[in-house]
Amino acid sequence: MTNDEVIVKVNEVFIEAFEIEPAKIKPEANIFMDLGLDSLDVVDLVVALQNKFNVKIRSDERVRNIRTLGDLQNFIIALRDEGAFTQNG
Amino acid sequence: MVKRINTVFLNLWFYPLFVIYTLSAVTVMSLIVILSFPGTWRVALRRFRQAIKVYGNVVIRILPFPWIRIRLKDHAPQEKGGPYIFVSNHPAATDAFLMAVLPGEIVQVVNKWPFKLPILGQFARWAGYLSVNEMPYEEFFIRAVRYIQEGVSIVVFPEGTRSSSKAMGQFHGAMFRVALEAKAAIVPVVIWGNKDIPARGTMALCPGKISVHKLKAVTFDEYKNMGPFKLKNHIRDLIATELEGMTPCA
Repeated sequence: MTNDEVIVKVNEVFIEAFEIEPAKIKPEANIFMDLGLDSLDVVDLVVALQNKFNVKIRSDERVRNIRTLGDLQNFIIALRDEGAFTQNG
Repeated sequence: MVKRINTVFLNLWFYPLFVIYTLSAVTVMSLIVILSFPGTWRVALRRFRQAIKVYGNVVIRILPFPWIRIRLKDHAPQEKGGPYIFVSNHPAATDAFLMAVLPGEIVQVVNKWPFKLPILGQFARWAGYLSVNEMPYEEFFIRAVRYIQEGVSIVVFPEGTRSSSKAMGQFHGAMFRVALEAKAAIVPVVIWGNKDIPARGTMALCPGKISVHKLKAVTFDEYKNMGPFKLKNHIRDLIATELEGMTPCA
């Protein structure tokens, strides 16, 4: 999966699971302030990402530092590079 | 200059009266609870919550009059009973008192600091207000759903903090998850005109006119196909649209 494909799939999660307008989906968008997710929505987001990429996301330092959509996209790309995606991911 | 004099008079008038009235209310409310026995605890709580609303109405409508005036615009006066989840924007610290104009038996979802207020904080605890930051989400969820099932309406300020301009903060979704579980109707409430009553960081009240608009309830049938994220933004949009057209006492 290329970087662009990862980015597209991450964006799809926000559009499909949260029905956020595609126009708001920008790498610099703050997940909380701009996109409007709260701590409970983040739990739903993690579940949706895990299902989308067949990956287990654990709460670690990198996750806690995610603020923007771009941060999240880069985090998922890093997981791919670590080989964290399972076969169907 | 005239405004400054009015502000001084308002505060010299209001705060001594507020203290005297609050101390008197403690006695009266205690009596209400005591006289409610040997009835059930539920009856005592209902009366106590009604007494808090009477107390709140006097504090916001009578004590600061004529310097501060409140106007309630009810878009659906036929909706009286409840239980409802009242969702309001949050321009000032006085918003919790303004909720006394809403119908029915009510508890509020509050931050930590109102519980720390002398007397008023104790009233809030006795009335069963929910201090959202002092309990795990699961406990908050269970207690809030139970309130709705008991017929008690809940007031929430989902921005979590005050936003004195018309640009509201993002909403936290906890109460909207409660609404979906309890199938409760949600009533948007819009407040405008009290950003200086009092201004952030001060206790000084400025004279002014405050508008409170109670919008039509959004029923469970209307929102049942929405997830909590979409629901909170839908209610936020309804409030933002109403807020946009409001001037003080519009």
